[in-house]
Amino acid sequence: MAQTPSRTVLLVDDEIAVMDVLERYLRDDGFNVVCAADGPAALEMFARHSPDLVLLDINLPGLPGTEVLRRMRSERDVPIIMLTGRIEEIDRVVGLELGADDYVGKPFSPREVVARVRSVLRRSERSEAPASSSERRVGAITIDTVAHEVRVDGKPVTLTPTQFKILDVLSSHVNQTLTREQLLERVSADGDVFDRTLDRHIANLRARIEPNPASPRHIVTVFGVGYKMIDSA
Amino acid sequence: MSDQAASRLVHEIRNQLAVAVANVEAFRDGVLEPTPARLTIVLDALEQLENLLREIPSERSS
Repeated sequence: MAQTPSRTVLLVDDEIAVMDVLERYLRDDGFNVVCAADGPAALEMFARHSPDLVLLDINLPGLPGTEVLRRMRSERDVPIIMLTGRIEEIDRVVGLELGADDYVGKPFSPREVVARVRSVLRRSERSEAPASSSERRVGAITIDTVAHEVRVDGKPVTLTPTQFKILDVLSSHVNQTLTREQLLERVSADGDVFDRTLDRHIANLRARIEPNPASPRHIVTVFGVGYKMIDSA
Repeated sequence: MSDQAASRLVHEIRNQLAVAVANVEAFRDGVLEPTPARLTIVLDALEQLENLLREIPSERSS
């Protein structure tokens, strides 16, 4: 089962006879593979090909694998699986100190390595995946229009149905000014929200979602016109 | 034999084993053909292993 679209794996090992076997397995499994046999070449390939995952031998000529990992991670948060023949290194490698996503001890089964690559990619893609389609994010605010839940900085906040409707309408028109009339029309299908009470609802909504309601960052007043939600992230 | 020397030895043994295991598995899985060149790679790794084993003190004295 090939991946679509094809992911690129950067393979770094100074043992060519191991690297080319892994390369074949990964290609057969539908991956693009780029290879490097030492630390400096690994960093160059990393910059040039922006791999989706790095398989990195810890023991490399030129620059230690641990240093290569550190430099890659300072560029971006790429998933990295370490290959190591030094069992005593493993704790350091996967521990907090270096933070590799996984490791494979040598000798290894190439099939097992491919399985680990897939599993680490799945894990990292899941955590990067955009929120499900019922969720909308505006800056620190997440609005779930199906569950009728709102979170600010991940913390749930309770809103009245009218407050929720106002937030729903504003957040689906981010950075766009909505007039009082437009807001009233969309929020108050049954005419239960009136012009002046709209301002009160907004004030109450701000009290729940704004870090400082006196100087709102998310829902701002556009004087003489209406309101606008701003993505301040 | 110092700890450091022992650790280096174990590391090299693991590396050579990795060459042999990866290649033989590839033959088994049909991912690589066991061509004479490929089989030579495996044989070289096994030969290296034999040399590395000779570096272990107890092996030398026996």
